[in-house]
Amino acid sequence: MIMHIDMDAFFASIEQAINPRLKGRPLIVGSRPNKMHTVVCAASYEAKALGISSGMPSKEAFRLCPDLAFVPADQSRYIWTSEQIFALLKDYGFILNYASIDEFQLDIGSLTQRQILVQEIQSRIRQSFQITASIGIAKNWLLAKLASKINKPNGIAIITDKNQEEILAKVAVNKLCGVGEKTSLIMDALGIKTCLDLYQKTAWFLREHLGQAGLDLYAGLRQVGHLEPESSRPEVKSIGHSYTLPRASANPGFIHAWLSLLAEMVARRLRQKNLLSQTVHLWLNGPQIGNFSAQKTFQQATSDPYEIFQRGLKIMAFLGPGIPKIRALGITCSKLSQAKYLPLLKEQKQREELISALDQINSRYGENTIHPALIKLTQKIPQ
Amino acid sequence: MQQSGFNPKARWDRFIPEGDDHNTEELNDRIDVLAWFRRGKIYPKAIAWKEKLYPIQKITYNWQERCGAEMINYFSVDTGCGLYQISFNNTTYGWKLDKIISLT
Repeated sequence: MIMHIDMDAFFASIEQAINPRLKGRPLIVGSRPNKMHTVVCAASYEAKALGISSGMPSKEAFRLCPDLAFVPADQSRYIWTSEQIFALLKDYGFILNYASIDEFQLDIGSLTQRQILVQEIQSRIRQSFQITASIGIAKNWLLAKLASKINKPNGIAIITDKNQEEILAKVAVNKLCGVGEKTSLIMDALGIKTCLDLYQKTAWFLREHLGQAGLDLYAGLRQVGHLEPESSRPEVKSIGHSYTLPRASANPGFIHAWLSLLAEMVARRLRQKNLLSQTVHLWLNGPQIGNFSAQKTFQQATSDPYEIFQRGLKIMAFLGPGIPKIRALGITCSKLSQAKYLPLLKEQKQREELISALDQINSRYGENTIHPALIKLTQKIPQ
Repeated sequence: MQQSGFNPKARWDRFIPEGDDHNTEELNDRIDVLAWFRRGKIYPKAIAWKEKLYPIQKITYNWQERCGAEMINYFSVDTGCGLYQISFNNTTYGWKLDKIISLT
């Protein structure tokens, strides 16, 4: 059996623990400090009750509730708390998966005293961090994750073979992980409203109407799942970062600055793992281009941020002259190999030494202590 | 099959240079703190700021962040007349009043 632990309104709950005066109040956590020019990255349950949700522009949230409390996000608090919860769960000795910043999965096998374990974990988290978690248990991670959402906040739900159909009949299909807005609309047209409706369809039916995603859902709802120990998990195949800009922009300086920043981040992680990459994949999203994605494989493998940035620009040139309005962008490096050989050319050697020196400075004094000047333009949001 | 893993070290916010919209509430004032160090934990008890002593009534939360080779310990503390964020640097042994979270 898999246990899925989902923290309740994680960022907002931490902010309410830090500032108890915010408890019981509608609160949003914004991704940027300017409260009227940001997006909601977390909302308290009191704010959610007013129709405010993650991803909503903050202006819209304040229109719904002018008395809304606002706190700018501070990732260090959330990451530290998340890592502490991970460490707390590791103590139990089960195989553990760090699913996201606020989600954890334990493979509890055939443990019989599940209810006692669930209550103990909830109580330890509440006592240590003054925040709550909802926990779901089921035969695989997809159902366990669904179960964790059923009785939020601070809830417990266990899906067994006996109660599975009864529970699935009560849950809307869009609550299931992997069923997004588009898939949900297709399912609605097919008469699939609840998770039970989906469960009762044949694999053939789901493949015909939803393709591979349909087959994955069919298998996901039925299989008995186990978590793999960390040591046997497959090696990294790609490293990428993406970012949604505060507003769509066609300003070349601003777009290039963000591309350069993302290339720096990707390259730093490549070098931390002693990897080189041959293929660069660029993803752009904007009102004129929709989702644009292209990749190119180069002869020379690299972990040089400037080279990755240049390769990203070459791919961007596929769009033609000029830069269209871009709202979000991402860069991913794949076709990875271990960095085994030392550079032969003098220029390459000098470049390697420079990058190594920059890495040492950033490791000693903190990330981005030294960075390309172009990155500074990420803060100049074009009007 | 299992859900893909999360890497808490892959943080973009550490790479963002401070911009025009940085948090204006930040003070970053050096302060003196009376603290109790016990069993590997730090318990700040009182803050001396601008020649006034503020006894700490409650530590509402604490967390840590690594900044390069330095480890910073953050505390949100309630003095009764306000809620403050203070921090202790494990390398320099310096205390700072980072910001006022809210005033009573």
